[in-house]
Order: sequence, then structure tokens, then C-alpha cells
Amino acid sequence: MLFSRRLVLGLAMAGTLAGALAFPAMADGPTEIDLFFPVPVDGKLARDMGTMIKEFNEGHPNIKATAVYTGSYDDTLIKTRAAIKAGKPPSAVIMSANFLLDMQIENELTNLDSLIAADGTTKDQFLGQFFPALQGNAVINRSVYGVPFHNSTPLLYINADQAKEAGLDPNKPPQTWAELTDWAKKLTKREGDKVTRWGISIPCAYDYCGWMMETLTMSNGGRYYNEEFGGEVYYDTPSMLGALTWWNDLVAKHKVHPPGATPGPAVSTSFISGNAAMIMLSTGSLTYVRDNAKFNYKVAFIPRNVRNAVPIGGASLIIPAGLEADKQKAAWTLIKWMTSPEKSGWWSRATGYFAPNMAAYKTPDMVEFLNKNPDAKTAVEQLDVAKPWFATYKTVPVRKNLEDEVMLVLNGKKQPKEALAAAQKAADETLKPYNAETSLKLP
Amino acid sequence: MSLAEPAALPVAASAAPRLHVLKRFTSSFKVSLPAYLLLLPSLAFLALFTYGAMGRVFVDALYQRATPKAPVRFVGLDNVSAVLADPAFTGAVVNNLIYAVGTAIPSIGLALLFALALSRTNAVTSALRAALFLPVLIPMVAASALFLFIFLPNVGLLDYYIGRMLPVLPNWLGDPDIALTAIMVITIWKNAGYYMLFFLAGLQAVPEDVMEAAHLDGAGPFQRLRYIILPELKPTFLFVTVIATLNAVTQVDHVFVLTQGGPSNSTNLVLFYIYQQAVEHYDVGKASAATLLTLAALMGLTALSFRTLANREGGP
Repeated sequence: MLFSRRLVLGLAMAGTLAGALAFPAMADGPTEIDLFFPVPVDGKLARDMGTMIKEFNEGHPNIKATAVYTGSYDDTLIKTRAAIKAGKPPSAVIMSANFLLDMQIENELTNLDSLIAADGTTKDQFLGQFFPALQGNAVINRSVYGVPFHNSTPLLYINADQAKEAGLDPNKPPQTWAELTDWAKKLTKREGDKVTRWGISIPCAYDYCGWMMETLTMSNGGRYYNEEFGGEVYYDTPSMLGALTWWNDLVAKHKVHPPGATPGPAVSTSFISGNAAMIMLSTGSLTYVRDNAKFNYKVAFIPRNVRNAVPIGGASLIIPAGLEADKQKAAWTLIKWMTSPEKSGWWSRATGYFAPNMAAYKTPDMVEFLNKNPDAKTAVEQLDVAKPWFATYKTVPVRKNLEDEVMLVLNGKKQPKEALAAAQKAADETLKPYNAETSLKLP
Repeated sequence: MSLAEPAALPVAASAAPRLHVLKRFTSSFKVSLPAYLLLLPSLAFLALFTYGAMGRVFVDALYQRATPKAPVRFVGLDNVSAVLADPAFTGAVVNNLIYAVGTAIPSIGLALLFALALSRTNAVTSALRAALFLPVLIPMVAASALFLFIFLPNVGLLDYYIGRMLPVLPNWLGDPDIALTAIMVITIWKNAGYYMLFFLAGLQAVPEDVMEAAHLDGAGPFQRLRYIILPELKPTFLFVTVIATLNAVTQVDHVFVLTQGGPSNSTNLVLFYIYQQAVEHYDVGKASAATLLTLAALMGLTALSFRTLANREGGP
């Protein structure tokens, strides 16, 4: 009968579906954990991560870790949050270091203090392994929430050949803003009104722009945000005004910096192609520059106006909240293994980020690498003057409040003073709900 | 909901019309039961991933939390009014309107031009059609990555060739006055070939005998275009306009890749605004409210255009 045949067919289809939707049975054996990892610089990292996790699994038979590629830093935050909401958080995530505070405010992070205590170490001993500059972004309210994995600082890259040609000594790079301005003027090439080579280029796209503003503000003696409390930023201050005015002067007054907002990849490309003689970029770009520059280059500290100071960048390993105890333990084992001196050093050599674990620089492989590539040392030396990366309640929108205004200034549409006042007003508005709950919640 | 639908099926309509309503309902249900069983899997997926998600958006749009640690509470239409009062949202709507008009008109115009020029089939036109259709085959994300290099200030392809003629090199994606236009150029480049297909199909439907009659009556090429071809293409125009408008709202891949809505929000489109609210601000309530507003506008627009379309086709 047709009817029954149809019925059987329909039921069969429904059955298949039900089977597909049912949860796979729980299996005994090794604890299975997922590691979410972003690739912020280039595609080769995904392969390096695969190599690393394979080695971990071979050395730890009772844990089976899987590395899950999750896109950019921002995408990784989205995917982690989606997984937490769905009740299936990943066991460990490589998270942009300045998202930790926001996640902690939203109760999305596991406090690592008890895991550290269970190992029989103190917090100070554990944190003592890492460069002091990195601790600020890993510790919130005196509790450890993240373990630094790969980090960066901004650097000044100089085309040494072009510097020599302009009569400048690349072995004595500019140390102050005044010297840098002077170098940029000498390195800029013009044909009539048209610039054929820029003296300096500083990236300004969402994310990079805020980081560069923090860099310039810190070199000008200032702070970007309140390091102790996530509800305040210092946009409308003399130190930031000086920083933005100088940046704008390079564009509008001295005409040695390309106008408008230029994203990071465009800045590195124009350096590689010889179109910009000096650039400010992350240490994360060092491997790219080393592999692609067909000229001699030099890297140097970010010049100062008031003091030498730079923010850190990069990512930390975190454990999301709401995990079963066995997965949490397995993830902790993985994190400790990944941040050990040997692995930390290996990852640093593969990526160009510096290794957060200080002992990594004493391993024979690393000593040999630094002898061969002395430019990698500069980033590590600059760590002495490095400070935490801005992290507030709603880090990204608060950062964007500033970046939108900076972009207007670089495009000649607003003056620095009024732009920063507008940025401050917008950021205060974004931070309002958090302040209402903390600093302005009075007895 | 699905139980009410059998009445609309042709099978049901042909069943005995004068029976009692309930009886008619049960008999028609019996007849179409196997059909429903067969549809069940896809209905389940639709419910799970389409209607379920829409329902969730509707509910989420009504809730908000006052401070980060406070629990979510019912706020009614507060989210909607907050979105409407947000200058970033109104900015995105204005950008999107400019973007919709600025991409739809040129790409439809170009598509019609291409279709008219290439309506006859021979080796040359086939090759040209393929060439014009090529951008459609490239995924938007890949195309945007290509344009990232074309638009690179100073060293990109565009500046390399055009830049020599200009006194000052424009920063195509970094200048708020130019960025949206740059984004629109990509969309036009990408979509014109696609719309050309519809016009080519529409041109096949222009009756040959009418054209011949006009020719005999001494109508020149322009008159034939004005009085015969364009009126015949009206349904195609309408359809393509709807598609172009929907594309203007739903395609934001290039904004993600190229500008992230910047500089200074000058390329922020509505869909990207929703993404920012949900992801950057982590404000599900506002994101849902903005989604609802967009959905309502799109559905209204679509309904209106298809009604016009139906009227035209149904008319004499």
C-alpha cells in the first residue's frame, strides 16, 4: 500500500534525524579537552599549534587535547562566549590579554588561585616566572585569571639603507620625539607637493589605533586607563593631548606621515616596499619583516617625549568558568606545559612574539637564536619599561570611543582638543553602568 | 500552526466542499498526513534554526540588565527606543540608505547595459558574459581581501596607476569621505554581472513578433528600447531591485574585512552595527532590538515589492 509505504519512509527519516540529534555516548579513557586558539598574525601559526598539541598528547596519555582554530582575537572572544552560553565551554583559550578584565566582570573566568595552591606553589612563585610587565593583565583583584602565553610590545622599525642615504646613522636610532621628527623630515622624499616616500607611518585601524595611542600617551608620561579599576579612562588629559597633537603634527604640519587612518598590514607593506622609511609596529611583525625586507633594517625602542614606556600586547591562556573538575585539571596541565620555558621559547621563535617565561631566554636554543637574530633582543629589553595593556569594562567599545575621534583628527576633520573631549564623554557614557555598580554605588 | 495549513493544499481544496468543517479537516488531514511526515524533518530544522532563532530574538529584545552584575529584567520596548536614540544606529541607517541607493542604481544600470549589449549569443558575447559574471563566482570575503591590496595607500594597484595623475594620493579606506564609496565600488563590481543574468533572461521573453512589427513600422533602436523592451522588462526590474536592496542590507562581508565600520563609523552599516552591539558591547537586548527593526523594514519592503510585482503580472 502506498500509504503505509510513505508512512514507513517518513518514520524512517524521522528516526535517522533523531539518531543524528542524540548526544554521542560518553566514552571512558583520556580526558578530552579543547583549546581555542586565534591566529592574529599569519597562517603558519595554525600548523605550529598542531605540532605543539601533538607533542603534548604524546607526553600525556591520560589527556587528549584538541586545538580548535577560532579566527582573530575578537572572533575567539565571540566563540568562547557563545560556547559558555551554550553550556559547553572550551577547557582552555588563548585570549587577547586585554579581554580578561571584561570577562572577569562578566563571571566568565575560572580563578586560577586554587589550582596554583594545589600545586604547592604560592602565587608569587608562580607569577615570578613571568616578566613583571605581563602580570598586570593576568592578575585581577589580586587573583590570577590568566597565564601569559605570547606577548609583544610596539617597536620602531627603521630602514637602515634609507637612513644612511639621508646621512643618518641607523646605529644611533632616534631616542626622543624631537629626534624622531627630525629623522622623519630628513627621510621624507618629495616631488613638488607630492610625497614619494614617507618619513614615518603609524598604524591606525580599530584595535591597533588604541594600542598606538596608549604607546604615545605613555611615552608622553601619561596613562591610558586606571590600572586598578575598570571604570575609568584618561582620554581628556594633557599627556594624551600632547600625544595626539604630535601625531597630528606629523601628518598636517610636518607632512611626513601619510594622512588618514592606515591599517597595520598597509603600514608593514609600505615599509617592505620602501615607501615608508620608519614605522611603529608590534614585535609580532618582526618575523614578517625579517622574512620579507630586501634591505637592512633596524629595530629600536619607541622614542620618548617624557619617559620611555610602552604597553604590552599579546595573549594569555585562560580557563573559562563552568568546567567539570577533571577537565579543569587537564586544562591546567596543558597550560603549565605550554608556558614552560622550553615550549615558550619554541613558540617565540616560531612566531616572533617574545616568550613571557623569563627562563625561556636561558635555554640553549634561545641563546643561539638571539645570537643569530639580535633584533629579537630589543623587544625583550624594552620589557623593562613596559606596562599593562588597557583593559576596562567593555574594553572594545571604550577603545573605539577614542579611535573614532583619533581617525577624525588624522583625517583633518577635528582638532585634537575637541576630539579627546568628545572621546572622553563617549567613553564615560559606555562605562556608566559599571560605575553605577561600583564606584558610584554608595551606602 | 502547521495543522492549520492543510486547507491551503490543493488536495484539500478538491475534497468534498460541503462536508462539516471538522470532518473536512480530519479527512484532509488524513490525506495529507504522509506529506507532513515527509516534511517533518525539514520542518523540525526550520523550527530549530529559523523560527526558533527568530522567536528568541523577539524575546531577547524585551530584556535588558541595568548594570553588569544585575540580572536581566523585562524592559518592554526600552531596547527599541535605546537603539533608535543611538546616533551610531541612525548613522548606520543613513549609511545603509546611501549604500543601497548608491549600489542598486549603478549596478542595475550597468547590468541592463551589459545585457542589451550582449543579448545575442555568439562566441564573443559568450566570452564577455563569462568575464562579466566572474566577480559573482568570487566569494565576497576573498574579493574583499583582493581589494584590500588594490586599495592599499601608496603601494596598492589603484594608487600605482591612478595615483600618478592625482596631486595627493587618497587614502581610499582610511578617509571617512571616500571609504563608503570605495565599499560601494566593490559591491557594484561584484553584483552587476549577477543582475545581468536576470536581464538577459528577461530579454529572451521580449516577444519577437512585436519587435518585428515595430521595426516594420519604422521604430528606431531607441524607440524600440523605450516603448517595447523597457516595459517588457518591468517585472525583471522590480525583482532585481528587491534583490539589490536585500543585498545592501545582508552583505557586509567587505565591511568586516576592509574597514570594520570605520574610519569613524563612516562605513558602518546596519548589520555591522548589530554585530557590534552583540559582540563588542555584549548587549544582546539592543542587538536583538536592532535586528527586529531591520527585519521589520526588510519584510515590509519585500511584501510591498512583491505585491506590486503580482499586480503587474496579474494585470492586462
